[in-house]
Amino acid sequence: MKTINSEHHLDLTKEDEKVYSTLNLGPTHPATHGIFQNILTMNGETIVGAEQTIGYIHRAFEKIAERRPYYQITTLTDRLNYCSSPINNIGWHLAVEKLLGVKTTKRVDYMRIIVMELARIADHLICNSVIGVDSGALTGFVYVFEEREKIYEIYEELCGARLTTNLGRVGGFDRDFSPLAIQKIRDLINGLPKVLHEFERLLMRNRIFMDRTINVGGISAERALNYGFTGPNLRAAGVDYDVRVMEPYSSYNDFDFIVPVGQNGDTYDRYCVRQTELWESIKLVSNALDNLPEGKFNSEVPAFFMPPKEDVYSKMEPLISHFKMVMGEIDVPEKEIYSAVEGANGELGFYVVADGGRTPYRLHFRRPGFIYYQAFPEMITGAALSDAILTMSSMNVIAGELDA
Amino acid sequence: MSEKDKYTVVEAPDGYSAPGFFATTLDKAVGLARKNSIWPLPFATSCCGIEFMATMGAHYDLGRFGAERLSFSPRQADLLMVMGTIAKKMAPVVQQVYEQMAEPRWVIAVGACASSGGIFDTYSVLQGIDKVVPVDVYVPGCPPRPEQIIDGFMKIQELVGKESLRRRYSTEYKEMLESYGIKIDK
Amino acid sequence: MEYSILLQELRNNFGDSILLADDSADIFTVTIASKVIKELIIYLKEKQDFIFLTDLCGIHYPEQEKEFGVIYHLHNLVENKRIRLKTFVTRANPQVESIVSVFSSANWMERETFDFYGIDFAGHPNLIRILNVDYMDYFPMRKEYPLEDATRSDKDDRFFGR
Repeated sequence: MKTINSEHHLDLTKEDEKVYSTLNLGPTHPATHGIFQNILTMNGETIVGAEQTIGYIHRAFEKIAERRPYYQITTLTDRLNYCSSPINNIGWHLAVEKLLGVKTTKRVDYMRIIVMELARIADHLICNSVIGVDSGALTGFVYVFEEREKIYEIYEELCGARLTTNLGRVGGFDRDFSPLAIQKIRDLINGLPKVLHEFERLLMRNRIFMDRTINVGGISAERALNYGFTGPNLRAAGVDYDVRVMEPYSSYNDFDFIVPVGQNGDTYDRYCVRQTELWESIKLVSNALDNLPEGKFNSEVPAFFMPPKEDVYSKMEPLISHFKMVMGEIDVPEKEIYSAVEGANGELGFYVVADGGRTPYRLHFRRPGFIYYQAFPEMITGAALSDAILTMSSMNVIAGELDA
Repeated sequence: MSEKDKYTVVEAPDGYSAPGFFATTLDKAVGLARKNSIWPLPFATSCCGIEFMATMGAHYDLGRFGAERLSFSPRQADLLMVMGTIAKKMAPVVQQVYEQMAEPRWVIAVGACASSGGIFDTYSVLQGIDKVVPVDVYVPGCPPRPEQIIDGFMKIQELVGKESLRRRYSTEYKEMLESYGIKIDK
Repeated sequence: MEYSILLQELRNNFGDSILLADDSADIFTVTIASKVIKELIIYLKEKQDFIFLTDLCGIHYPEQEKEFGVIYHLHNLVENKRIRLKTFVTRANPQVESIVSVFSSANWMERETFDFYGIDFAGHPNLIRILNVDYMDYFPMRKEYPLEDATRSDKDDRFFGR
């Protein structure tokens, strides 16, 4: 047996080349859910090495961010992990608030929790149902997509967009939750448990599904930490690291929720962790909605709080501040901050260096998917090809987040 | 509800009919068959791909238009649906996939990025897939709603239904392909 | 652990290589000489429980003598403390030691930093471009390069006031 060096390049001799075959998985392969290339070296059905190529949708986010006023960067964060864009938006707003030293009201915090947990539900639903698809069960996917549509309808009611939501503003929201939106959220959290139970019954104790996923694509806690895993993938490996608990933001510490932890870090554990988080998210949304305090939906951050439109048309000061805000002419202190939120895939960090200008001097996104996807070759070496597909879908690698 | 009301049948093209026969042109008959059984190849790269998943899902159901059979292999696909940002690194792949498709083939650019580069006027993004392959229908939006994708798809159906059988053999068509640097099977 | 104690420990071990320490920022920030970076990160990982590399990225200050910076964010998961390390290198010799052997996660982050800024991570197993096309001949995140795509033909500069 040949050894594989740290970068998983194989040192093959002539003799071995006859035994091994090369399989090109990607960049456009129906089973990869996104565009990344894996050149697999196969011994029959067994993978002996993999070489990854990424960057197929690199859009130069960090360079664009250096030209954009702070409030316009949400268009970029929307498109990072587009399955749960509100988390990214609010994460960015929290980062700017940290930079400006703004404190938000409880109402804003709770509204944010509702929106972020809805996004987490949407993201985990897509990931878990796609694990089902890749193991041969399309039914669950079609079934839960119906529920995802309802979350999109809630987004639409909150901000007008479905996928790339641009939701929220620095300091809070651009408008309050409408009664219809609250009704829709209530309908969702009342209806979702039934669907989720059925979805679980379809897969969780399904013999075929368990055989396909248990002990497939496992990683130890130690290796996972070394590879910079965060989020459900790290928790599946047995490390209870969750930014919501470690460094509570947006009043998460007001709520009780369980941080589920797995044991083996395999595909089944990742599935179960996400599934449990779905239940916790439903609970969080429900609690936050029940305890939603009265008050303003946007903290007074003059630089980012759009004055009412009628005042803009009739009064001098609101017009000036509206103009300044839209042009991005705001006072930002000269400092650097790192702010992180628990994205659907893990710790989504924003490292902002501000030089006092209208745009960030440097903005770096810590994209969880980019960091943990590099462990993929190590996780699939020795596994069968069909297991590699399942491993990839259970890691929930989103191309937009991967390539920035 | 009678048995007949449960399904709808596409309308017959213009032609001459009398008891026992119906006559129309071959173009129209072939167009009718083609447009109602398009096999799309989803070339989904980013956000628009998620909206495409919603379009394929139970709620919007692209299957109603005869396109529930996705062809992930370009060899059997009729319609290349490019959804999402195409980076310069990806551009040769798009062209290669297009070359692998058999004639007749159509292309739909879904979303602002595929149509024009969208908001990403950057060094790494291809400014619209029409730089590398000919495009038949552009769907605007960032991302477009599933209804818009369906609308774009119906526009493609119109094109497919009306296309002359000779178009793909014309010199204009070959010149057009050559202008993109696409290999033509002799 | 208090940051002052940690700083004292670092000073004891690395002496003059600790150039600057700042605990007024949101995260305790230490600027160090580039030659000890790997050694210091190994020390932090093994002796001070900073077992998690959160982030690694580059930065460019064209007006500084040492133009390029590499910024590391480490996380002590035991005590939930973060630390930010900065090191700067010159344009003529942008070389920093690679820490892939310490943290596997640094592999792609260093490749990304190389891709964007051209910072050379010595000892990296496979330092090639990761996000951009292989034939790209410049480092796009450096401040002197433009953002826009140069091949656009539909943009008339007159309409943009340039």
